[in-house]
Amino acid sequence: MTSSDPKLRRRRVDPMDAGSSSLTDIGEEKKKGSWRGVPSGPSPIGHRTALAIVTLLGCITTFYKIWHPAEVVFDEVHFGKFAGFYLKRTYFFDVHPPLAKMMLAAAGYLLGYDGHFDFGTIGDNYIENNVPYVGLRMLPATMNVLCIVLIYNIMRESGYTVLTCSLSAAMYLLDNSAVAQNRLIMLDSMLVFYMLSTVYCYIRFRKLRYQEFTRGWWFWLIATGVTMAMTVSVKMVGLFVVTTIGICVLVDLWGLLDIKRGLTMKEFMRHFNARALALIIIPTCVYLFWFYVHFAILDQSGPGDTFMSSAFQETLKNSAIKMKSLDIHYGDEIILHHPGTEVYLHSHTLKYPLRYDDGRISSQGQQVTGVKEADDNCYWRVKATKDISKDKRTPVRHNDIIQLEHVATGTNLLTHDVASPLLATNEEVTTMEQGKRYNETLFKVVLDDHNNGNIWSTHMKSVKLMHVDTKVAIWTRDKVLPEWGLGQQDVNGNKNTQDRSNFWMATEIKGLNATEINMNKKKEIKKMSFIMKFFELQGRMLRHNSGLTKPHPYQSTPITWPFLIRGISYWSKNDTREQIYMTGNVFGWWLSIGGVAVYAGVMLADTLARRRGVEPIDEPLRNRFISSAGLFLILWLTHYIPFFAMGRSLFLHHYLPAATCNYLLLGAVFQFMFIDGIDSPVSPLEGTTNTKYRRFHPLMMVATLSKYSYLAAFLILLGQLGMFLFLSPLTYGTPGMTVQQVLQHKILSTWDLQFAK
Amino acid sequence: MRQRRFAWSRSPSRSNRLDPLYLDDKIWKAEQQQKRRLSTNIKSFIKSEPAIVLYLTLWSFYIRLWKIWQPGSVVFDEVHFGGFASKYINTGFFMDVHPPLAKMLIALVAKLAGFDGAFDFKEIGLDYEDANVPYVAIRTFCAVLGALTIPMAYLTMKKTGHSTMSGLLVALMICYENGLITNNRLILLDPILLFFTSATTLTWVNFCDKDKNYKPFNLQWYFWLAMTGLNMGLTASCKWVGLFTIATIGLPTIKRLWDIWGNTDISKLKFMHHFFARSLCLIVLPIAVYMAMFVIHFHSLPNTGEGDSFMSPEFQQSLAGSNSHMSDTPLDIAYGSRVWVRHEGTRGGYLHSHPHEYLTGSGQQQITLYPHKDDNNWWIIEKPRNARRRRPDGPGGIEYVRDGDRIRLVHALSSKRLRSHDEQPPLANDEYHKEVSAHNDEDSRNDRESDWIVDIVAHNENDVDSKYRLRAIHSRFRLRHSTQRCALFSHEKKLPEDWGFGQQEVTCMQNSKLPKTIWYIEANQHSRLGKDVEMVNYNHPNFLAKFLELNKIMWDVNKGLTASHPYDSRPQAWPFLQRGISFWGKDGRHIYLLGNPAVFWSSTFAVVGYILVAFLTVLMEKRGIFDLYNESAARFFITGWCAHYFPFYLMSRQLFLHHYMPALYYAVLLFGSMFDLITIWLTSRKKMMLVIMASYCVIYAYRNFIPITYGEPWSQISCENAKWTRTWDFDCVQ
Repeated sequence: MTSSDPKLRRRRVDPMDAGSSSLTDIGEEKKKGSWRGVPSGPSPIGHRTALAIVTLLGCITTFYKIWHPAEVVFDEVHFGKFAGFYLKRTYFFDVHPPLAKMMLAAAGYLLGYDGHFDFGTIGDNYIENNVPYVGLRMLPATMNVLCIVLIYNIMRESGYTVLTCSLSAAMYLLDNSAVAQNRLIMLDSMLVFYMLSTVYCYIRFRKLRYQEFTRGWWFWLIATGVTMAMTVSVKMVGLFVVTTIGICVLVDLWGLLDIKRGLTMKEFMRHFNARALALIIIPTCVYLFWFYVHFAILDQSGPGDTFMSSAFQETLKNSAIKMKSLDIHYGDEIILHHPGTEVYLHSHTLKYPLRYDDGRISSQGQQVTGVKEADDNCYWRVKATKDISKDKRTPVRHNDIIQLEHVATGTNLLTHDVASPLLATNEEVTTMEQGKRYNETLFKVVLDDHNNGNIWSTHMKSVKLMHVDTKVAIWTRDKVLPEWGLGQQDVNGNKNTQDRSNFWMATEIKGLNATEINMNKKKEIKKMSFIMKFFELQGRMLRHNSGLTKPHPYQSTPITWPFLIRGISYWSKNDTREQIYMTGNVFGWWLSIGGVAVYAGVMLADTLARRRGVEPIDEPLRNRFISSAGLFLILWLTHYIPFFAMGRSLFLHHYLPAATCNYLLLGAVFQFMFIDGIDSPVSPLEGTTNTKYRRFHPLMMVATLSKYSYLAAFLILLGQLGMFLFLSPLTYGTPGMTVQQVLQHKILSTWDLQFAK
Repeated sequence: MRQRRFAWSRSPSRSNRLDPLYLDDKIWKAEQQQKRRLSTNIKSFIKSEPAIVLYLTLWSFYIRLWKIWQPGSVVFDEVHFGGFASKYINTGFFMDVHPPLAKMLIALVAKLAGFDGAFDFKEIGLDYEDANVPYVAIRTFCAVLGALTIPMAYLTMKKTGHSTMSGLLVALMICYENGLITNNRLILLDPILLFFTSATTLTWVNFCDKDKNYKPFNLQWYFWLAMTGLNMGLTASCKWVGLFTIATIGLPTIKRLWDIWGNTDISKLKFMHHFFARSLCLIVLPIAVYMAMFVIHFHSLPNTGEGDSFMSPEFQQSLAGSNSHMSDTPLDIAYGSRVWVRHEGTRGGYLHSHPHEYLTGSGQQQITLYPHKDDNNWWIIEKPRNARRRRPDGPGGIEYVRDGDRIRLVHALSSKRLRSHDEQPPLANDEYHKEVSAHNDEDSRNDRESDWIVDIVAHNENDVDSKYRLRAIHSRFRLRHSTQRCALFSHEKKLPEDWGFGQQEVTCMQNSKLPKTIWYIEANQHSRLGKDVEMVNYNHPNFLAKFLELNKIMWDVNKGLTASHPYDSRPQAWPFLQRGISFWGKDGRHIYLLGNPAVFWSSTFAVVGYILVAFLTVLMEKRGIFDLYNESAARFFITGWCAHYFPFYLMSRQLFLHHYMPALYYAVLLFGSMFDLITIWLTSRKKMMLVIMASYCVIYAYRNFIPITYGEPWSQISCENAKWTRTWDFDCVQ
């Protein structure tokens, strides 16, 4: 700071001139009139007018021809259908949490829709099927307009000028991807809405940091927690905004902990506890609440049954599994099915060959294999190894030691320390005549779900057969035996006993008709505690989500998203040559990614310079650039970077929340580049409850707009508007285009528009 | 007029901020003094430093080399790394996921020991003695390198200012680490990797010692810096895990540069000197070393071998005696040309058909990709009957095939046409894949399903013609189906062995992305072209091209190693030693890679302890209590541990316990550092007692697992008793 260039510092008023001695006393400051409360800068009227204008414009871009197309578009297939399930109260399974789908269902309920339509494929007609789709679309579209309002207010509360606020909001309302995505029956506009609300609430909370523990402070803190939970309740992507808030709170707490801040440990713990309550406990309750509602509504058996455990399925009305299930008793002849590879445990009179192709040697025992179709060779009799009463049928329980007899050949299942035919590390499974090598034919019944009743039953309790002698589990995998094994599937003893694929399911008991028996025996609907249901569903959602790896023709990798290398074809109609192709506003997206680069460059240069004792940026400007624009940057990063670590198939629309955050950052960078100064401070010190804060000195500055500011904003908006209008046929799906026009609209050669030939 | 009200106050903390470097130095000096006082007594016991190093080295040789000839058969990954040695000796090109240095060293030792490369190390348990393999020499080489890490660990501890006692403890812990013993005395890459990793650490701490007092740029300074760079390069040339070692050095380097940049007493010019000296030695030099290893690698393997099929045709062209060696082929392609069509996206080879039918879909004759030269690869380009005629535009009245032309491909031996139709292909079961087959419909005139449109998508920059008409090798094209909006496609899925001969599937894919739909013509004959036509062949790739290609393929193959192995494990299991790896078993004897639990668990404890102490220190500083604990050496060791451990969480390939070994090395060093911290108040005598007790525990645990470490006989009872946790699954069956 000693060697700084005078030119760099010209904008800074000398502290002595400004009366630094009097800065210690805020009261005096105020008297002098050199310090004003919030909001500084332009009058609220300017803001109100600008907000009204962008909201109006947002309504126009969002609601324009919202009834077109009157057909199912892209993921409306899923979310329209899910709303229908709520209205029919049948249980379904989806990887997303329930809130947004319930909102859609509520909209449908109010519109009198009964959920009769199945939203089968893209292109199904709504009008013919009598679906109030315009009403359903109104909900997400309204949310989109509210997003615009929120963006404006986030920028306003962060202390930016009317011009900057309007710019950010206008960039968003003219973004093709936001318009295309958020007016359809999908979850994204709800997600973005709650995400932005969280940011807004947190900023309001932050601004009250000198009025700690006042009513307003508590209100905005709890509001942050609630909106955060709402975001997560829409999609798990909401966890990214939780991460952002988490980072901010940690930084904030770290600052509070600083001894120079003057808080005692007791005061600090009070801060800590308040945040823990509002940002951990309350959000958890809100999140759980929506699941409670979810289970309360969906009380009937439906298409989601098969995704859940049998215990869960029993809690639903009319559950099919209850009709099929039977308890297994000693002496029963059962069929064992491997769910992972869809085969049945099988044996036949053929033997393993003495010597395999690779020179290893087998036991020459009878083959045990897996087959795709169950036949008579698939029946296995469960035999007890302990004394059981002869007159009464004894059920097989968890941890019982049993023998399995292959009914057709009268031999017992056995495994031993001989390498299996295809996998030398695993044990060979074979069968043995009665009475021989008894100890090696013993298996322990390990039930997957033995906490809810420990009796082994068909279709309900999957089972792991643990070999007592050598501690391996009977296992099969997607590999078939060569010719000598008739191309049937390899079965062996797996040393990795913890693997999920070790579980088998008994599917049939010979001679017993499950449906008949169950018809006579009336089973009642079982209860399951909410928290158990929740954890089961949550676990399966996460597992299913990471299992969505099936490639899709329109999937893309995260690195291509900000540059819009490829869009997604949402809908097309051959007769009219109309199509909806989801793509962002190329101008806005490239500009905003440029904004990120500018931000990173400025911060890097500033950090390096400061390290050498040069301070090129005025303190209030820098402060705002770090705390406000920095928040937007973290928002963008947390909504973008985690996708790189995800294994599931990803799509361009996953970038939409990040693109929205990027417009916030673009506004902040615009202010830094084209507007001289910043309105500071934004957080009022008046009414502070803590006397220690009186020592703090606000950094004061006023933003000055020049004609260049207006010119730059005008040019940016002109570019955005031009690109928006140019791409609008792809966004609204109308009008249809000729080949020539389609080719014109291929801004990048990698875009795969329909009707280009 | 611009008006601004602006107030600003000077931050009070800035003026009284002490220079951190000055402070560091003072603390360091104080610590040194204290440590020196403590160690004077001990030094009288054991004469001098070099003597200690010598004792340690000899002792670790004994521990590592004990019964090195046992077992006399192939153990675990000796299958691979012994096998590579014989491949180097046979000079046939092969492909492996690891860089070449360690393998070349093994091969060199084998060669010097008189190995002729006849033994192929095909599977675990093959006998060495019958085959006359000098395996003892090779294992001795590996074990010696492994043993040398022990004196280096001791020296590292001493150089970073730790007490002799903690240095000795660290050395003994590494010496008696069963996992390292098992892993280091076999023909594996890990001992060599570990040797260079610890050498890098040692040279780096020496450099830091020279750099500490801002007296840079003298000869010694440069020597240690360059040695660090050299060792880094060698480490990375053994295994890519060496990149983690580079990160371990890189992070403190950046930190140091940041400090220098922040020191306004050092001019910018001098900073640039610091910056470029480090860039040169720590970036340029390692890269040069790494590339040099590949120069030697390519030089040692000039001949064709089993690795050919991984490589591009250009690369194969550079190998001698290659059966896929291409002779020059005419450049121009016209209607009536007999051609070999090769797939660019995969290494599957040539478009192929043979007189066997699909067992699925249409049941027509199969189309596959076949990697070898074969007469069934010949296709003849024909014009559809109803296509528009053009005037012959080539010499001898031939007509060139142009971009956008509709063509038919006729399989030369069976005279059947390549076609696609709305049927499900055998393997790809998405609706956007269509079956491709060879078939002859009687009504060939209207058989639009065998018409394909040539789209040239890339061409040789030096041959402008190849953009507009098809030319051998220079033109890369797609074959678009005329009716189905799909393009001829192939991917790395093999048809079933019994009816598809394990050849690669070919389909026609709609909305396909570029890479896997690109084809080109490799060989070409035309009856009406004379001998004097323009010929073409693959470009001969230069070293850089070969180097980059091989590294890319190594990366891809490495990423593809996702098959599960019965003894693989995930990183979270390693620090707690949850499970080992069965290496070998014969006649009731077993070798099972299991670390010394005392070393594993105590080093993990040290890591957790360090993190707690460091966190507490930062927290206390925030509350105004300074300088609780600040040990730069411990910080370096924890950096090393993190850099060698956490990246494994990002890897989805199969991982094993032995991947933890470099991280373990750093964890043990950190343990030494923590040992010094907690014993700082003890007298040297008490400290020595503590070291002896700790060593006793380590040696006790070591002796417990001698049988599975060296493959010694073991009684079933003591074996069962040695299973301290239920997850250790070594075999006790006699």
